[in-house]
Amino acid sequence: MSDVTDLPAPQGDPTEGPAIALRGLGKRFGDLIAVKGIDLDVPRGSFFGLVGPNGAGKTTTLSMVTGLLRPDAGQAFVLGRDVWADPVATKRLIGVLPDGLKVFDRLTGLQLITYAGLLRGMPRELAAERAAELVAALGLTEAQGKLVVDYSAGMTKKVTLASALVHGPRVLVLDEPFEAVDPISAATIRRILSGFVESGGTVVLSSHVMDLVERICTHVAVISDGLVLAAGELDDVRGDRSLEERFVDLVGGSTEVVGLSWLRTSSD
Amino acid sequence: MVAHLVRLKLTLLRNIFRRSRAQAIGAVVGIVYFAVLVAGLTVILATFRGSLDAGRVVIPLAGAAGIVLWTVVPLFSFGSDPTLDPGRFATFAVPHRDLTIGLVAAALVGLPAIASMVLSVGVVVAWSHTLASTLVAVVATAIGLLTAITTSRWVSAVMTQAISSRRGRDVIAVLGLLLLVVIGPAISAVANLGASLRDVATTAAVIVGWSPLGWAWAAPGDVAAGDLGTGLVRLVLAAGLLVVVFLLWSRVLRDEVDNPRAVSRSDSGTSSGDDLGLLARLPGTPLGAIAARVLTYWRRDPRYQISMVMTPIVPLALLIPFVTGDVAWTPLLMGPLVAFLLGWSEHNAVAYESDALWLHVVSGTSGRDDRRGRLLPDLLLATILVPGYVVVGVAVADRWDLLPAALGLSVSLLGAGYAVSSVMSVVLPYPVAESGESPFNAPPGAAGITIAAQSMASLGTLVLASPTILLAWWAWQGSVRADWGAAIVGVLLGIVVGIVGVGVGARLYEQRAPELLSALRRS
Repeated sequence: MSDVTDLPAPQGDPTEGPAIALRGLGKRFGDLIAVKGIDLDVPRGSFFGLVGPNGAGKTTTLSMVTGLLRPDAGQAFVLGRDVWADPVATKRLIGVLPDGLKVFDRLTGLQLITYAGLLRGMPRELAAERAAELVAALGLTEAQGKLVVDYSAGMTKKVTLASALVHGPRVLVLDEPFEAVDPISAATIRRILSGFVESGGTVVLSSHVMDLVERICTHVAVISDGLVLAAGELDDVRGDRSLEERFVDLVGGSTEVVGLSWLRTSSD
Repeated sequence: MVAHLVRLKLTLLRNIFRRSRAQAIGAVVGIVYFAVLVAGLTVILATFRGSLDAGRVVIPLAGAAGIVLWTVVPLFSFGSDPTLDPGRFATFAVPHRDLTIGLVAAALVGLPAIASMVLSVGVVVAWSHTLASTLVAVVATAIGLLTAITTSRWVSAVMTQAISSRRGRDVIAVLGLLLLVVIGPAISAVANLGASLRDVATTAAVIVGWSPLGWAWAAPGDVAAGDLGTGLVRLVLAAGLLVVVFLLWSRVLRDEVDNPRAVSRSDSGTSSGDDLGLLARLPGTPLGAIAARVLTYWRRDPRYQISMVMTPIVPLALLIPFVTGDVAWTPLLMGPLVAFLLGWSEHNAVAYESDALWLHVVSGTSGRDDRRGRLLPDLLLATILVPGYVVVGVAVADRWDLLPAALGLSVSLLGAGYAVSSVMSVVLPYPVAESGESPFNAPPGAAGITIAAQSMASLGTLVLASPTILLAWWAWQGSVRADWGAAIVGVLLGIVVGIVGVGVGARLYEQRAPELLSALRRS
C-alpha cells in the first residue's frame, strides 16, 4: 500500500525526551527469565516496530509498559511519567491493544467501544460519537449491533483497536495489531496509524511480519530471548540488507530445512 | 475401524490415571465408591427373582429411569468428553458405517456403560424364572442397554450441533437449568404421596411398560408370568425402537461429519445496530458504565442467568419444612437467606469475566468505581428481593413481632456479604466455567480451591454479621429489646461493614490489579 517514502518524517521535538523509555526492565516467571533487563528509547512521533521470534518477550515487555504486568526489575516511563509510580496519569496517555486476552464479548461492538470510553471517564455523548466514528472508519458498521462473541478474529481485533483509540491517546501500544486482519482492513488500520503519527502521536507495535514492519515503521528494535539485540532507525538497523535477513542474522536461527524429503515427492 | 475406536476409548480410560497423582487417587476412590454402589444395586435387582410381582413393577421403572439418565446426562456434560465427538472425525476419511457402529461400541467400554452392564446382569438374574423368560431377558436387556447408549450418543451429537451456535448453547444451558429446577419439587411431590406410593408405582409401571422407555424392560416379566404373546410383542417393539434410534443417530452423525460447524455463527442481531442499550440509560460515568455492563451480562450470559434464577428460588425451599412439617420458624429466614445469597454470590464475580479485566486495568479504573459498579446491579436486585422476602417470611410464619429483627439480620448479612465479596474477588479469584462452556462444567482440578473459597466467603460473612445474628437469636427467644436492637444494630452494622469492606476491596484492587489479572489469566 504506502511506501516508506510516503510516510512523514517523525515529528515532535526530540529534545522533549522519548515517548517511551525502558530502563533495566526485567520479568521472571518462576525459573524462566522472560525479560532480562531491557533498555530502550522510543522517540516521540516514531512508528516503532518491535520484532522478535516467538517467546522472545515482546508481549511481556509491552505488558509492563502498559501497566498490565508488574515488572520485577527496572522502570518504564511514558512521556516522562513512571508507569508504575503514577499509573493513573500514565494510563490516560496510552491506548492499548493486547494480544491473546479476552474482551467483554457479550457487548455489541458499538457498546464495547463506548464502554472503553466511559471507563476512561469520557462524557457519554463524546464516547458514543467517537465510537460511531471509529466503527465507520474500521468498516464495522454492519456488525456494530452484533455481539463481539460472534465476531471473527479480525473483527475482534479491529473493535479492540477502536477501544484503544476512543479516548484519544498520545501513545499507542499495539501487540500484533495486524494478526488475522484482512488486507483491506490492514490498509485502513495502517492509514489510521500513519495519520496518528503524522499528528505527533507515537505508535509502538509488535509483529512477526518483517515485510510489514519494514514498510511502515520508522524505527525498529529486535528482541530475542529477553534482550534487545538491535534498536534504532530502520535504515541503521537493517543496513544494506532486508530486515528479514538482518533479523535472521541477529537472532541466529537456521532456516535450513532438515529432512521432510517425502513431502517433496508430489509427482503424481 | 471399530476396533480402533474402542482402543482409542480404552487409551482415554487409562489416561484418567496418568494425570497428577492426586487426580489419579481421586479417580480410584471415585471408581471404588461407584463400584460398591453398583454392586449393591445389582444384588438388590437380582433379589427380585424371589418376587415376580414386585419385579414387574420395579424393573421397568428402573430401566426406564436408566434410559432417561443416559439421555439427560449429555445435556449437562456436553463438551466434557469431546474426544469422541463426531465432529472431530470430520477430517479423517472414516467410512460412515464404521463410525456409526464404532462410536457406539466405544461408548460401551466407558465406565457408565460398564456399570449399566453389571446392573443388567442383575436384571437378567431377576427374570430367570423359566428358560424362555431367561432367553427373552438376555435379548431384551441387551436391546434396552443398546437403546440407552445409542440415544445418549444421538442426544450428544444433536447437542454438539446445537452448541456450534452461541444462541443454541445458551438455550440448552437454560433448558438444562429449568429441568434441574423442576426435578426437585417433582421428587418431593412424589415423596409426599406417602401411603399411596405402592399404587402409584404399580400404575406407573403399567404405563411405562407400554411406553417406548419400558418395552425392553417389561417384556421378560410378561414371559416369566406366562404371557408369552405380550412379551414377544414388547420385545419386537423394543427392537424396532432400537432400529429407529440407531437410524436417527446415523443421520445426525452423517450431518455432523459431512458438514461440521454448519450452523451459522451470526445469530445475535440485537434490535437496532446503533443502540447502546443499558450503557445509554445508566449514568455516563465509569461506575454507571460498569453497572450497565454487568446488567447486560446478566441478560446475555447463561452463567449469570443460573444464579439469577436460583437466588430468588432457593429461599422458597424454606417453605417446604413449614408446609410439610410443623416447623414454624423456617419462613422467617427467607429474607436473611436471600440477603446472604445476594451478598455471597459476588465473591468470585471477577473470575467470570476472565482476563477481559485488562480493559479496566489499562483504563486506570479506580478501585471504588470497579467495586461499586459491580455491586450496584446486585444491590438493585436486593432492594426488591430482600424486603419482599422479609415481609413474606414474617407473614407466612405469622410472627410480625419479629419483623425488625428479620430486617436487621438481612441488612447485616447483605452488607457483610458485600464486604467479604469485595475483598475476596480481588484476593482469591478461583477458576469457573468459561463463557460459552456449559455452566455445569467445573474446570478440572479446581474443586479444592472452589470449596475452600466458598466456605471462606460464607464463614467470613457470618462472622462479620455475628453481632446481629446473636441479637436476632435473643429476639427469637422472646426478648423485645433484642428485637429492636437487632433492627438498629443490624442496619447500622450492615451499612458500615459494607462501606468499609468495599473500601478495603477498592484499595486492594488498586494495589493488586495487575496481579489479579495474572491470576485470572492462569486460571
